[in-house]
Amino acid sequence: MNILLEALMYGAIAALISGTVLPLLYRSKNTRKTAFGFSLISSVLLLGFAGTVLYTGKEPVFPVIGFLPGLDFTLTADRLAAGFILLIAAVVPGVSVYSVEYVEHVKSEARKNLQAALTNLFILAMLMVILAGNMVGFLIFWEIMSLSSLLLVLHDYSSEENKKAGFFYFVMTSISTAFLFLGFISLFRLTGSADFGPLEYPAADLALPFLSLFIGFGVKAGLVPFHKWLPYAHPAAPSNVSALMSGVMLKVAVYGFLRFLLSISAPELWWGVLIITAGSLSALFGVIYALKENDIKRLLAYSSIENIGIIFTGIGLYVIFKVEGLESLALLSLVGACFHAFNHALFKSLLFLCAGSVVHTTGTRKIEAFGGLVKSMPVTSALFMIGSVSIAALPLTNGFAGELLLYQAFFQSFAVTDPLLTVFLIIALSSFALTGALAAALFVKLFGITCLAIPRSEKSRLAEEVRKPMLTGPAVPAALCILTGLFSKQLLSLAGWEIEFPDMLLLGLLLGLIYAALFLIIRSKETSPARISETWGCGIPTLAPYMEYSSAGFSEPLVMIFKSVYRTKIVNRAEYFDKQESLFKKGKVEIRLLRFFEEYLYIPPARVIDSFSKYVSKLQNGKLDSYVLYAFLAVIVLIIATGGFV
Amino acid sequence: MNTSFLLFALLNPLFALLAAPLYMALIRKVKAYAQGRKGPKLFQVYYDLKKLMKKEAVYSPTSSWVMRFTPYLNLSTLLVCSLFVPLVFVPEPAGGLGNIIVFLYLLALERFFTALGGLDAGSTFGGMGSSRSMSLAAVIEPTMVISFAALAFVLKSLNLHKMFALTAGTVLPISPTLVLVSISLFIILIVETGRLPVDNPATHLELTMINEAMILEQTGKNLALLELTHALKQFLLMGILINTILPIGLSTEIDAGKIAVSTFLFLLKAGLLAVIIGLFESAIAKMRLFRLPAFYVMAFFFSAVTILIEVFA
Repeated sequence: MNILLEALMYGAIAALISGTVLPLLYRSKNTRKTAFGFSLISSVLLLGFAGTVLYTGKEPVFPVIGFLPGLDFTLTADRLAAGFILLIAAVVPGVSVYSVEYVEHVKSEARKNLQAALTNLFILAMLMVILAGNMVGFLIFWEIMSLSSLLLVLHDYSSEENKKAGFFYFVMTSISTAFLFLGFISLFRLTGSADFGPLEYPAADLALPFLSLFIGFGVKAGLVPFHKWLPYAHPAAPSNVSALMSGVMLKVAVYGFLRFLLSISAPELWWGVLIITAGSLSALFGVIYALKENDIKRLLAYSSIENIGIIFTGIGLYVIFKVEGLESLALLSLVGACFHAFNHALFKSLLFLCAGSVVHTTGTRKIEAFGGLVKSMPVTSALFMIGSVSIAALPLTNGFAGELLLYQAFFQSFAVTDPLLTVFLIIALSSFALTGALAAALFVKLFGITCLAIPRSEKSRLAEEVRKPMLTGPAVPAALCILTGLFSKQLLSLAGWEIEFPDMLLLGLLLGLIYAALFLIIRSKETSPARISETWGCGIPTLAPYMEYSSAGFSEPLVMIFKSVYRTKIVNRAEYFDKQESLFKKGKVEIRLLRFFEEYLYIPPARVIDSFSKYVSKLQNGKLDSYVLYAFLAVIVLIIATGGFV
Repeated sequence: MNTSFLLFALLNPLFALLAAPLYMALIRKVKAYAQGRKGPKLFQVYYDLKKLMKKEAVYSPTSSWVMRFTPYLNLSTLLVCSLFVPLVFVPEPAGGLGNIIVFLYLLALERFFTALGGLDAGSTFGGMGSSRSMSLAAVIEPTMVISFAALAFVLKSLNLHKMFALTAGTVLPISPTLVLVSISLFIILIVETGRLPVDNPATHLELTMINEAMILEQTGKNLALLELTHALKQFLLMGILINTILPIGLSTEIDAGKIAVSTFLFLLKAGLLAVIIGLFESAIAKMRLFRLPAFYVMAFFFSAVTILIEVFA
């Protein structure tokens, strides 16, 4: 058994390494195809590996590799790791099939190959982070993961906007790593070992590691208020990379946090409260900011923040129930969080791939410029619809099954003994419900404005369906979204979680049967065929695109209702000709939305650092003698600090 | 599946489907009387539906399969929903049907597709209706979830079948806190079915309408299906409210006599509720769109108080 598992794992790693090296050696379309073939093969092997570990419960032991004295390098895979490897195995096939065609749109041959190589490296790094058995390996691969994704974000480095996005991503990911270092070092000091082991220490000793790891992983996962890099990085990155980043990389951060949290035997209540608060705020702010967004990829990025918030809410519930000693509810919320992570990986990668196709054919990311794609791009639209229904957590899809688990945990949360905690959970539940309903509104807007009605621009009118690989790619996650939704109960019980859970398959069968019956009855009584006639446009003979409801108009009521969140400001400057103030000479009216986190959280420290670095830069005057002086002064300071010549 | 559930699965949707339009008509009639008119006959709704069923569907050239698919899907969804809400007879629960969260999300599924259908024809009114409907639904959602959570908390189950099995046989609500949660349920009923002060179902004045705007482009059979869906939704929500607050007569046994009595009683209670809704609608003016969140907060308050009382008591 172990040999089989090892073979699968090493095979997958070898395939990904070949996929990385090959396109760097030979520049041709075939090598790129082979490279993505390799990632496809690796995901099949990983599927076998993760499935076996998850369902048999056998945990393979890999040989230890000596790395540095005292620091070994180990690989392990327990059920938690297997769950997240399964997530990679579910997302990668769709992305790699899609990429075969998608990278061909990049201009230069060298860049095409580079993208194929980096994509494989990125997948490999994410896999290795999950497999890493101790902190050393974890951090090394974490950095490789961050850097390879950074290079992919910067693929089109000539544009000013992308450069800014890349820089912002680099800074944020460095902050994340810094906090991870702090957390891991403080853990190392406590335990004296770099392994992820059970931590049987009083919670007071674990407060510092907990906080720094929470921030470190939170930044990478995109929790509010560290979420700002997502809406910058995603529009800059190619869509297949966005699918991987949003689908898998954010979940790797979730995995890291869970690895730490689950090794703790006695967490504290305030941790859970903190995690739920951060999760609920992320979920709510993510979806509220997404609602006003009219850039398709940025909208999806904000929606990822929302979903990460939902996952963290589930994790927080787990901590609270664990502290309260409600083991079955704790398990329910943990399974809910993990299942939602898996589901989000599927439907978000599906949505990013579809968005990539739409952006590719229309040449714009503005939602206002789409419309009518359901006719010109029927397959992409249908896949997009599956993704939208799934992410809006509507029944029969996996998105609903995941949220249902969390709802069930929430609904039974009155079992906790502390009344104040109950009040807190009620507030969290209502915020959770609000998030869900806003997400539904968001995806009605996204799908409705993008795919339905009349094309809103010339580009959209002339849009054409994309080529086959770009259709079969997203079809994989779409099919998985429906299947994992319908068989959610069966899959959960197969993995050993016997949870009281409605049978989605039965529900689906009932719905299908009733639909078919209704359809047949009404069709059989049909006497006259359907007629085609113009949409009523208040007497105007033909409807023009500008008369349609726009994307900004669609979200207007919600922008009004949540205006205290957006800090909507209507700026109205006008000069008048006449005394009655009715004739404009010139004027300007704009509705401005305050970018709260940027203006209050990021800019002030940036300014401080900026002014400080002005002084520092004066030290660097380019003269050799002053540098020698600095070195001399530094030596003196060191001597004094270390206690003189001993 | 046991026999009692099988019988329920056959009869409950049929009963709901047949009785639902009647209460749409009854509310209309009450409103007409309150305004000093006589109003259309009670059975006029059935004639209208029959007439619409005979008519051909007219589609806009800009519309897609979404518009053709929506009416069938919505009615099927609501028919599945009717398996979740025992109206006159509570069977032994089976197959996990009856989960209150699933019920809530099936309603969301129906709303999602109605809103997409509204956008499909490219008409401004449809878009406006969809936008407003989704916005208001988003704001009422926390209230719905908290009310259902309160219901689940008081009646100790997530399953509507089990909840009503508990209330069945009692005359009045088994817990005084249920009265509080009923106020929220009543407001939810008003909001979800698009009645005054949220939306005016009688008007076709474009600037104020919400639900009517979304189905403005639907015609013939499709319109009939959507009207039926709407009626069914109202009837099921009424059923939840009635069986929570006034469960007298609700039967748990398969006994023709008992079920007949309970059906009669249910029709009577639903009639009473319809009269109350009609009078409520006549007494109140339509609220401005952006005033509505405040109205919802009221419902939220009552259900939150229910939970708090139960927690601290």
